[in-house]
Amino acid sequence: MRSDFVVREVLTGLRRNVTMTVAMVLTTAISLGLVGTGLLAVRTIDRTEELYSDRVEVQVALTADVSAADTDCSQPICTGLRATLTGSPLVESVRFESQQQAYVRYKELFAGQSLAEVVRPQSLPATLRVKLADPDAGAQAVRQAMTDQVGVRNVIDQRDVVAKLFDFLGGVRNVMFALALVQAVAALLLISNTVQVSAFTRRTEVGVMRLVGATRWYTQLPFLIEAVVTGMIGALIASVGLLVGKFLFIDQLLSGIVSNGVVPPIEVADVVWVSPILVMIGAGIAAVTGYGTLRFYVRL
Amino acid sequence: MIRLERVTKLYKTSTRPALDRVSVAVDKGEFVFLIGPSGSGKSTFLRLLLREDVPTRGTVHVADLNVAKLPRRRVPRLRQRIGCVFQDFRLLPNKTVSGNVAFALEVIGKSPATVGRIVPEVLELVGLAGKADRFPRELSGGEQQRVAIARAFANRPLVLLADEPTGNLDPDTSQDIMLLLERINRTGTTIVMATHDHSIVDSMRRRVVELDLGKVVRDEARGVYGVGR
Repeated sequence: MRSDFVVREVLTGLRRNVTMTVAMVLTTAISLGLVGTGLLAVRTIDRTEELYSDRVEVQVALTADVSAADTDCSQPICTGLRATLTGSPLVESVRFESQQQAYVRYKELFAGQSLAEVVRPQSLPATLRVKLADPDAGAQAVRQAMTDQVGVRNVIDQRDVVAKLFDFLGGVRNVMFALALVQAVAALLLISNTVQVSAFTRRTEVGVMRLVGATRWYTQLPFLIEAVVTGMIGALIASVGLLVGKFLFIDQLLSGIVSNGVVPPIEVADVVWVSPILVMIGAGIAAVTGYGTLRFYVRL
Repeated sequence: MIRLERVTKLYKTSTRPALDRVSVAVDKGEFVFLIGPSGSGKSTFLRLLLREDVPTRGTVHVADLNVAKLPRRRVPRLRQRIGCVFQDFRLLPNKTVSGNVAFALEVIGKSPATVGRIVPEVLELVGLAGKADRFPRELSGGEQQRVAIARAFANRPLVLLADEPTGNLDPDTSQDIMLLLERINRTGTTIVMATHDHSIVDSMRRRVVELDLGKVVRDEARGVYGVGR
């Protein structure tokens, strides 16, 4: 195989159908950009899960009277509850947070916001914060054991709160993948069409090649490489687009919850992790589509 | 070199066979005219040799290769042994004379050194040494056909198939092209030429195979075009 020949043919082909090539690159780029966004969402979901798996607690909020009367969990109701919890093998540890401690933390969390001004220590419940040894079975057990006990106001599983966040991220991912799929169909058709046009504009050359006994590789490779190159350029543009999108939009959008440690930030490294995947998808899809088109629609 | 045995070719669109039990054998180094009216099966004959089509029945051999049974991936090997020339030249308009010839060698994987050696040689042979850098549009019809012949001959094929090579040329130019084909034939290359040109066939007095409605109606060692008409 003579590489100089193939390179020359590919360059000629790309130049000859420049409008088609541009359309193909852009469609591929958008499609892969959406896939990339979806992948970043998946990655963020995984990271967030990791982040929370060792941090998530079940909070047993105490009723207002118990909260007000007991500042260090030394009275019978609170100690009883605590004993029940620490007695369970599913529980790793139990920490008591008094009204005053809750108030201090609340002030910190909402510093500078009007919410921090209106709250008073009495309006916050004291809580027993339960760290679980087994997050799945434990949360259920704690809920069953504590609900409707004397002195218990309610049981909050933090995972319920986090689950909403996951639902949101999962939704983002699904929307991106759905859009990517629609775009991918368009990209596929464009690639197929471009290969056909490309083969048509070069039918004289291909005719001569067939006639003098060029092998299938020689006749088809230029078209395939042409498709793959456009697919890869599309993927690179998509990657650059993701980087730009990260700095321009995502960082700003997530800045609040990222700085509070609710969600891990999307790093440049994440985009770098996604890019090769996009390039492979782009090149792979282009190659397969190109090959299929040549095989079924173009007589070479 | 070429052997067809009871070859029948049916096309789906026609009830009459394009070729009907045709048996022809051509030895190495022969020069054969394939004549007959339009629709007599000349083109089908050539297409079968090139494996553009496969026969419905019968066998086709070209240079030890069983053409009809050849697997797809071996077809290029067959075509590398066959050179082809057409009425419409089929040159690449965006390549120069030497570019056209070089292209045919490049795409079958010849090294740049080989291409660089063969191209001037073969252009010399067809008498176009001084016009290597011209484009096809700058050449006369006869010169363009010479380029096509140079391209077909560059890889030293065993067989040269010519489908009405003089169909677009005036009589004098046609005569030049025939002289060139004779020269190539003298190098030992087998030539099969489909033609309508009476005067050429009559003046060359070579073997004539006449087809009519898909049947071989005449096969003479030193024939003329219109015998018995």
